[in-house]
Amino acid sequence: MELPLYERRDRVPLPPKGATVRTTGCAYCAVGCGYKVFTWPVGTEGGPAAKDNAFGDNFPTGFEGVWVGPNQHTVVSVGGKPHHCVVIPDPDATAVNPGGNHSIRGGTLALKCFTATGPTKDRLQFPQVRVRGKLVRVGWDTAIEAMAAVSKHVLAKYGEAAWGMKTYSYEFFENTYAITKLAFESIKTPAFAVHDKPSMSNDTAGIDDAGIITFSAAYEDFKAADVLFVSGTDPYESKTVVFTEWMMRSKAKMIFVVPRRTMGVAHAESKGGLFLQIVPGTDALLHMALARVILERGWEDATFVREWVAGAWEIDSGFGRGSRNTPWQWRTTWGDIGAVDFAAYKKWLLAYEPAALEFAAKETGIPKEQIVVAARVLSGGGGAAERPKATFLFEKGNYWSNNYANTASMASLALLCGSGNRPGRAVSRLGGHQRGWMGAAPYPREKSPERLPGRRKLELDLDRWVEKGEVRFLWVIGTTWTGAMTASQELARTVRKLTVASDHQPTSDKKDDIVAALVRRADAGGMVLVDSDLYPVNPLNTELADIVLPAAGWGEHDGARCNGERRLRLYPKFYDAPGEAQPDWWAVARFARAMGFAGYDWSDGNAVFEEAARFSRGDVLDYYPLVWRARRDGKTGHDALRALGTTGIQCPVRHEDGKLVGTKRLHDSTLKLADPEGPTTHAKWLTAFNTHSGKALLVKSPWELFADFYARIKPDPAKGELWLTTGRINEFWQSGFDDLRKPYLAARWPTNFVEVHPDDAKPHRIESGDTVRLTNDDVLIQTGGFNRVEADELRFSWLEKNGHIRIGKGAVEAVALVTPAVVRGVLFGYFLLPPNPFNALAHRVPDPITGNYRYKLGKAKLARTGESPYKADRRFLSFHRRDVVG
Amino acid sequence: MTPKLPLADCTGDCSHPEVARRDFLFAAGASLFVVSIPGVGIAQGKRADYPKKKVALLSKLKKGEPVEFRYPWDHANCGTVLLKLGRVAGGGIGPDKDVVAFNGLCPHMGWALPAKAFRADPGIAGPCAGHLTTFDLTRHGTVVSGHATQGLPQVVLELDGDDILAVGVLGLLYGFHDNRAEPK
Repeated sequence: MELPLYERRDRVPLPPKGATVRTTGCAYCAVGCGYKVFTWPVGTEGGPAAKDNAFGDNFPTGFEGVWVGPNQHTVVSVGGKPHHCVVIPDPDATAVNPGGNHSIRGGTLALKCFTATGPTKDRLQFPQVRVRGKLVRVGWDTAIEAMAAVSKHVLAKYGEAAWGMKTYSYEFFENTYAITKLAFESIKTPAFAVHDKPSMSNDTAGIDDAGIITFSAAYEDFKAADVLFVSGTDPYESKTVVFTEWMMRSKAKMIFVVPRRTMGVAHAESKGGLFLQIVPGTDALLHMALARVILERGWEDATFVREWVAGAWEIDSGFGRGSRNTPWQWRTTWGDIGAVDFAAYKKWLLAYEPAALEFAAKETGIPKEQIVVAARVLSGGGGAAERPKATFLFEKGNYWSNNYANTASMASLALLCGSGNRPGRAVSRLGGHQRGWMGAAPYPREKSPERLPGRRKLELDLDRWVEKGEVRFLWVIGTTWTGAMTASQELARTVRKLTVASDHQPTSDKKDDIVAALVRRADAGGMVLVDSDLYPVNPLNTELADIVLPAAGWGEHDGARCNGERRLRLYPKFYDAPGEAQPDWWAVARFARAMGFAGYDWSDGNAVFEEAARFSRGDVLDYYPLVWRARRDGKTGHDALRALGTTGIQCPVRHEDGKLVGTKRLHDSTLKLADPEGPTTHAKWLTAFNTHSGKALLVKSPWELFADFYARIKPDPAKGELWLTTGRINEFWQSGFDDLRKPYLAARWPTNFVEVHPDDAKPHRIESGDTVRLTNDDVLIQTGGFNRVEADELRFSWLEKNGHIRIGKGAVEAVALVTPAVVRGVLFGYFLLPPNPFNALAHRVPDPITGNYRYKLGKAKLARTGESPYKADRRFLSFHRRDVVG
Repeated sequence: MTPKLPLADCTGDCSHPEVARRDFLFAAGASLFVVSIPGVGIAQGKRADYPKKKVALLSKLKKGEPVEFRYPWDHANCGTVLLKLGRVAGGGIGPDKDVVAFNGLCPHMGWALPAKAFRADPGIAGPCAGHLTTFDLTRHGTVVSGHATQGLPQVVLELDGDDILAVGVLGLLYGFHDNRAEPK
């Protein structure tokens, strides 16, 4: 892909009075700011006088007025006719981004839209089939019927687990509902995973096991807190407005636990906050040491523990420790982890060697004194009459390293500080993407061939299943798949062998020829690959996929989803999708009908939305009362949601006192509920924790489950190895599929970067602006271990000893940014820019308890390869530090 | 990934052998991805040219000491800060290519960036008091870190003897819909 050119325009057309105005939500991060879209026919324009434009403002506007930047305008097709299109943050927003605050991503949403001659012109527009190695255009009927014929063959001959899906989890309820209806209800395949993990396991099982629902907080909690413990993320760089609008405006002292000094960290420090600069992978040790300091000194919230932490009787009564025969129950009854009462937890932690302050200081790199100070700030140090309100926020730097122990230990720490069920005292994920998952049926765990010790069925690791050659047909929807998973290049190599390197390739675009070749491929042990996406994706659909389907995206169909505080909004269609692109629910329905499945006759997105509402009942994102009420009022569900604009309504939606009521936060012990009306359900976790007793559980976090793997992957400085950790920056969303097509952002980041500490750069004579190559010839990849029997089989050392680990390779290139912002011994880069995502250098050995990858614990050797043109060319990049304050 | 460079290299003052500086700065992107549907332009009508305004004397400038003026109009949004950075900058003039000028409103949400927020060392404006955006003064005002949907508008300078002239603006001024439409 060639990067677009950036022209700095000095004029933008204003929407005239009468321009069509719609509200929508941002397409990108979990915060989901509210936006307004103005469209009007080309050939007309508003004027600078208030009476002549849609804003009713005189231009130039002042500080309070509305403004449209040049990158907030584009030209789109509406009903086949060219229209101006302006997308700006909603100046009238009252929720999320009041007054029109925005990020650099959302602020440039207009440039996301398809334009026939602009940088987005390479959108996929028609179904294609790879014939003799080259994609050729076919009709939807040919593509879908070929998929169905091959699928029927694979299902009949090899069973459900040979038919897989890999999909986003968030691109609107309408799509995810249709996808899960197909996969879990109609086909019942266990070979299914979402975009950011290899299996359908919990993201943050340690938090879940404590009885805390991960998106429980409201953004106003972040303003109301006295202390914000922020672990494994800088929301300034990745969920911007939650930081700039809510956290930054709070008086809270922030404690950041990250390996890099970013802008959010610098701001926190300038306001008296703490920066715990942690060695990647050691968060559990820090949490346990903090908890130990608190317990040793009696700084815990004894009242809260007495009232809200389950005692032995509550743990053991009924199903006490989670739903019966689920991984939740197994974990919380297992001796090494198991939920225990406060006295038992205290006894365990005070005697547990890895929880000692000295051990934590040595392994985390955080001085002992700083850990004690942090414990005092979090707990109030026992002195104050009123404890500080502490809120615990976390993301993937925390839970994508030592997944179970990091999240379990953080939950226990938070509970000891009295957090989790009151305003300003939240325990919550901040989120990556928005919450757009609406499952039509449960994942069929009983069909999974993967087992935990004790022969307990575990969600299947799809990547490992593919590596094993067990998947004969795979449909990927809206994810880069190989790049988004660890050991990316190795996974791509595997997929290449199974697909394009097969002897069996279609030789014409006739349906029968396509089907015959692909069935022969499946029977020969290969895999048939279908990909639905917006753009060409290297290598997934440019090189590997057999059938490529064009998807309609944001702004091209009506869709609904929630943000990181469970706020449901409508994201309406406002312009024409390109070519024959269709929303994914439409393609799924078309395929399901071709398969002969019933129940896929939806007339439009609203029909899917209304059907899906019934399946949301009783869950966190329950919006059934909204649809129920809409029907009583003679409206569609989508129209009822449309009327709520950028404010939307926070799920679960309730109907009380004759009206719809949103739920600000979960586990809110201060919430007063009125009588439930209509289909409203009052789940226990609205006012208590998500356990059988309603009280939170203390769970242990044994370091031993991780220690042997950690010792194996630790970089060896003598070999020139460094940690390679990854994350987000404001200017990119996911794979940069939009951003690299936004000329402004492509000029800012024409290529990936790697932050290098000056001490690590010096031996290689690397300066900012040099090109570097990062290699890892020691990428660990788990290949087997599907069926584990004894407890010690969870350990990495058992996998290695029994031949379930192979060693692969990865190499990526980037421009160096030499900066002391990153801790010595650690490299940092963006995780997912094709074609060489840094994920390629991270190991593919998932957490044995939860099946999540340890993305943030990659390893690399560094070599200087030359000098980038950007060193001298000042139109691109910037080599200044990003953590400059004051 | 080594992308093709969209434009000719800019190693300091962005001067270009084929065209005069102003033509280059304003015309370089003209044929690019601005208008998306063939034959459908943004109706621009007749637009005034940027005024040419003497704003400072090169000999009087000291590194790191900002000069403030309004450009292109005498309007509150047109506060401009001129600074000798002491390091080569994109669009920089003078023998050291280090004199640059930028509009003083953050294009994120219009907060004012006071002159003291423009720092020759390390060549950054900001962080903006509103939401912490910073701008690279050595690279045409591009965002270093933050939220603005365009870089800080750069006021284009020319040298006439010792006189420094402001002759144009790269990027749209905050609050304006057209830099060249004189505010009423």
